Amino acid sequence: MKRTVWIYMAIVVLIFAVFLLSLQMGTMSIAPLDVWRTLMGDGTEQHTLVLFEFRLPRMVIALLVGAGLAVSGAILQSLSRNELADPGILGINAGAGLAVVLFIYFFQGSYTSLGETIFALPLFAFVGAITAAFLIYTLAWKKGVTPIRLVLVGIGLNAGFTAILIVFQLRMNPEDFMQATVWLNGDIWGTSWSHTLAVLPWMLLFIPLVIAQARTLNVMRLGDPSAVSLGVKVERNRRRLLILAVMLAGASVSVGGAISFLGLVAPHIARRLVGPRHQVMVPTAAMVGAFILLFADMVGRNLLSPSEIPVGIVVAVIGAPYFLYLLMKTP
Amino acid sequence: MTRLEANHLSIRYEKEAIVDDLTIHIPEGKITTIIGPNGCGKSTILKTLARVMKASNGAVYLDGKSIHTQPTKQIAQKMAVLPQAPEAPSGLKVRELVAYGRHPHQKGFATLRKQDHDIIALALEQTGLKALAERSLETLSGGQRQRVWIAMALAQQTDLLLLDEPTTYLDLAHQLEVLQVLQHLNEQQGRTIVLVVHDINHAARFADHMVALREGAIVQAGAPEEVMCAQVLRDVFHIHADVVSDPRSGKPVCLSYDLLKHTDTRESQNVYPLGGKYGAG
Repeated sequence: MKRTVWIYMAIVVLIFAVFLLSLQMGTMSIAPLDVWRTLMGDGTEQHTLVLFEFRLPRMVIALLVGAGLAVSGAILQSLSRNELADPGILGINAGAGLAVVLFIYFFQGSYTSLGETIFALPLFAFVGAITAAFLIYTLAWKKGVTPIRLVLVGIGLNAGFTAILIVFQLRMNPEDFMQATVWLNGDIWGTSWSHTLAVLPWMLLFIPLVIAQARTLNVMRLGDPSAVSLGVKVERNRRRLLILAVMLAGASVSVGGAISFLGLVAPHIARRLVGPRHQVMVPTAAMVGAFILLFADMVGRNLLSPSEIPVGIVVAVIGAPYFLYLLMKTP
Repeated sequence: MTRLEANHLSIRYEKEAIVDDLTIHIPEGKITTIIGPNGCGKSTILKTLARVMKASNGAVYLDGKSIHTQPTKQIAQKMAVLPQAPEAPSGLKVRELVAYGRHPHQKGFATLRKQDHDIIALALEQTGLKALAERSLETLSGGQRQRVWIAMALAQQTDLLLLDEPTTYLDLAHQLEVLQVLQHLNEQQGRTIVLVVHDINHAARFADHMVALREGAIVQAGAPEEVMCAQVLRDVFHIHADVVSDPRSGKPVCLSYDLLKHTDTRESQNVYPLGGKYGAG
């Protein structure tokens, strides 16, 4: 228990440190003292604008999306008893991706102002993600949904979605193609406070709900026969937990784009740190996910400044070596 | 007296009937072992008794009520089930897995109370795992791991304990170790234990009551002496067995056996649907 508390504190300190660092860095770097002044309401007009309207909302979104994807991945890995599962297997990325590509392809021109696009796009992405997940669950249903069927149907449908997506993407004009590609690689582009406020309630509601189900998740991770033996209504709980995973990932994808790898790697790191009990693993995964995405976003914004690298690519670049290292360490 | 019984049970996998119209009673406070050749439906029947599988017809009764009309959590307070080859996530500690056994007794957000900790400690002691409580499951041997799962089932504090091949994949000493833990629980605490066992000698040695199955039907049920005899083994496994009495336990033992030659069998046309060896794997 003591160890867990130390680990919680260490991650919080790390998040805080990166948060402060990230506030200073960007196309326009702001000195630490100026950051402080601005936060206290004493900064120049320009600093206030950059910090409060551009950086802060974006960083808060990075934290929320990171936590959401990590918790979603944790649920899916436990339900499927497969540590390679991530929100992608529920078709969330492909579904959202297809919806976004269709949106850009068909409607981009018809929206006169950029403002409308900024809010229509997340909505489309969210609906696409939920639809895909629902479709996969329904197709996998055969007197109940076994995890292995879910994974297999997910792979099949994902491939189909991606194929259709490419067909449309190839017919786009170059600017739209660029925009779609950036989105598909995972990019925190919904950067206003209204986006933050749209995502915040989901995370505040659903992450605690998942933690409340920790005991059930523990038992379901042992497999259906053991879970039944311990008195868990397997099918009902699986559906409930899948809905939670879809909601979390759907909300994340709607403002963060199709960020892959994070939902896979954050629960892994959490298990390494605190073990597989969900009471501690899920909160740890949320914090680890938040940290990784905040860090990746900072790197993505600054590495090739003034141009940005999509955060999903940064996550993959950081995550892949770590993942290989994990694989090499496990016998 | 029986608390657990099944009446006119039919069980299907997809469209194939595994069990048809089976009635079985589990005597209370006894160890019951279920034996039979591969594919005879013994695991299927155990899973159905445990409500992990649903019967297509008939019902399983616990305390006189059909198990499908009782809340699954309530059943979990009366009956613990250990599935075949269960698997725990890596990094889980022995004590943590055993604590999962308290799940059916916990409510909402509740953490473990003192009473739960006592029960967990007792389960660890009864299975001889006290010294290993803080170890990670994957660092244990197969026999130790199997005892951890038994300890988890014990922490459920149920009178009924159903185990599906708890000794498979274990070496000789570990098999005996696990079975003796179960025997001890039965003798000291009067728990009712139902076991599916592959080794017929173990099945006979530890059983008060034996059930021999073939093709989803009971060939013989009763005391080990009634079930473990040349005639029944011949009908069940299609082997020619030499059964003697074990000087140590007085229980019947199959000393040696041979496959029946076709000419030995009355029903030589249809008795080898599985072919090959019986009694192994």
